[in-house]
Amino acid sequence: MSIMQHNGGSVIAMVGKDCVAIASDLRLGVQSLSISSNFEKIFPVTERLYVGFPGLATDVTTLREVFRYRVNMYTIKEERAIEPTIFTQLVSSTLYERRFGPYFIEPVIAGLQKTPSGSYEPFIAATDLIGCINFAKDFVVAGTASEKLFGVAEGLWEPGLEPEDLFETISQTLMNAVDRDAFSGWGAIVHVITKDKVITRKLKGRMD
Amino acid sequence: MPDGSFSHPQQRQFNPYTENGGTILAIAGKDFSVIAGDTRQSEGYSIQTRYAPKVFRLTDRAVLAVNGFAADGNMFVKKVQQRLEWYRHAHAKDMPLGAIARLIQTMLYGRRFFPYYVYNILGGIEEDGTGAVYSFDPVGSYEREACRAAGAAQSLVQPFLDNQIYFKNQQAPAGQSHPLHLPLSDVLAIVIDSFTSATERHIEVGDGLEIYVVLTKGRPTQDLEGYRGVKELTTRPDGDRVFLIQRELKKD
Amino acid sequence: MDHFPLSWGRPRNDALDAFNTYPMHKRPTHHDTFADGVQRTQQPIVTGTSVLAIKYKDGIMMAADTLASYGSLARFKSIQRLHTVGSSTVLGASGDLSDFQYIQSLMEDLIIEEHTAGDHHELGPAEIHEYLAQVLYSRRTKMDPLWNSLVVGGRKDSKNFLAYVDLLGTTYSSSSIATGYGAYIAVPLLRNAVDGRENTLTEEEARKIIVDCMRVLFYRDARSLNKFQISTVTDAGVTISEPIQLETTWSFAEGIRGYGAQTQ
Repeated sequence: MSIMQHNGGSVIAMVGKDCVAIASDLRLGVQSLSISSNFEKIFPVTERLYVGFPGLATDVTTLREVFRYRVNMYTIKEERAIEPTIFTQLVSSTLYERRFGPYFIEPVIAGLQKTPSGSYEPFIAATDLIGCINFAKDFVVAGTASEKLFGVAEGLWEPGLEPEDLFETISQTLMNAVDRDAFSGWGAIVHVITKDKVITRKLKGRMD
Repeated sequence: MPDGSFSHPQQRQFNPYTENGGTILAIAGKDFSVIAGDTRQSEGYSIQTRYAPKVFRLTDRAVLAVNGFAADGNMFVKKVQQRLEWYRHAHAKDMPLGAIARLIQTMLYGRRFFPYYVYNILGGIEEDGTGAVYSFDPVGSYEREACRAAGAAQSLVQPFLDNQIYFKNQQAPAGQSHPLHLPLSDVLAIVIDSFTSATERHIEVGDGLEIYVVLTKGRPTQDLEGYRGVKELTTRPDGDRVFLIQRELKKD
Repeated sequence: MDHFPLSWGRPRNDALDAFNTYPMHKRPTHHDTFADGVQRTQQPIVTGTSVLAIKYKDGIMMAADTLASYGSLARFKSIQRLHTVGSSTVLGASGDLSDFQYIQSLMEDLIIEEHTAGDHHELGPAEIHEYLAQVLYSRRTKMDPLWNSLVVGGRKDSKNFLAYVDLLGTTYSSSSIATGYGAYIAVPLLRNAVDGRENTLTEEEARKIIVDCMRVLFYRDARSLNKFQISTVTDAGVTISEPIQLETTWSFAEGIRGYGAQTQ
């Protein structure tokens, strides 16, 4: 089995109307043995920007610290919060630095991007383990259940979803996808990011 | 030899299998069954043809969808059809669906040590008039189900079906329960959505869609009449009936 | 060759001499003919490259060059790879040419067999294709494949037929078919020119499409030749042309470093 499947786990992000959502399962395993049902792999970067790290668990921890350091350095130097597009480039270049000995992580990024007029517009992106960026207008997926996530999301997602509808859509997509994946599941967490607040909910899932 | 020398006889094994892509799916209703498959046949990154059917009418009450290695699939369908013809000659009637399912299991297991590299889904009407779906693995393990997807996009379609057909992860409104069987129009909409989704995200799925609908004896057909270009394939009156709906899928 | 049958050995079971053909003490030391296994699985030896075929208004058109390669050696430069079967079918072959010659003999046997029935029925392209598909599939199932990709084209009862079968028994039909490198290089060109126009293309237009594709293949397929034959099947019957020599230009290569001859 590939090292990308060693610990299991999946992340998905979706665009809604003036909002974005990012969600992941909570499983941590070693091959087919489940170890933990509260292993979070989505982390806040700013108030309106989240990043998810599905992949090798040790690299989840490492990259979380790497990006905490680099985002702090950016904030101090620039004296402003990092924007989603900039952060995506940071993720990409950080991963590409290790082009020939990569971190085994495929990051998913979701946030609200500040426009010149001061409003916010939804932004999602994902990269592969060496930093190739995929900007998408609808949804991005990664992790061991990615094929399943693609299938369900393609069937359920529609443009212009309001926050609560987006929550339902991303939750249903994630839950039904991970229930068909042996390496993902054991509960889930969903963050819906809107202009004013972030709604975070933990979902109970099948434990088999 | 791993050392690349020629001091030992060189062995090159002929590989008798290939994969020809595509996806199939079937859903059973209370008094109907829907069996569908795309029509693309491919090998590697090449599309061999945009129209190679992999869903076949066996009798007026049974339809078989075959996916995997196309040459094995065609040969397998041919042999099943031959056995069904012999059965007609011996018993002066069509073989019942459950018996066809058992026949398929026996035929697949008969090749346990040189398998037909094929995933089968059999759909149709049971003798009690209920819609049924039987799904098989290449060596004959089978079970009756309400819905099943197989083939290249199985992993994309099956969780979607879990959600939309079995209502998995959905809670019924208080005091209510989810329907056990969906109406035909809902099922057809889900089938078409499944294939357009699979076409969007899987390169081996596309070109055309063939949906077979089997209706139990005496069932009204008005919910089929709304569909463009429905062809009836039934051979005998006053029994279960088979219909075919064809749709285009994206060709890229 | 040892012509003495008793030295040939018998498969397995060397413990006893069932027919007492030898006094026990004189029995030759047994040699098991099959000890090293039997050789069935092969690889193509003398090969032909792409076959192209399309449907058009009045029938089907097929083309194949006349080269038989031995690895990268252009071994035989005037081998015909298009073969008439009956009066309404043409069969084009790529892959192993000795296997193809065996298939040709099968076709001859088949046609004679059907002719001797004297029922005035003749096998059409669909029947020939089905027969070949069964032969190739059963040979792959015996792990002793006929190493070919075959295209069967024809026209019978005013219906065009074009289909493919290969060493695995895989079959399909389409309005344009190409084997070998043609499947990568010619198919996009053929589909672009033919799809949706199967019933309106004239023979002249079809010929131009085919010749253009054969030219592209000659430029890009290193195992091809600029000498090929074109076959048609129409209501008038089967024709296979004399070899056609392609006009090719290489002056453009002069300006491309790494393509034409290098001067420095």
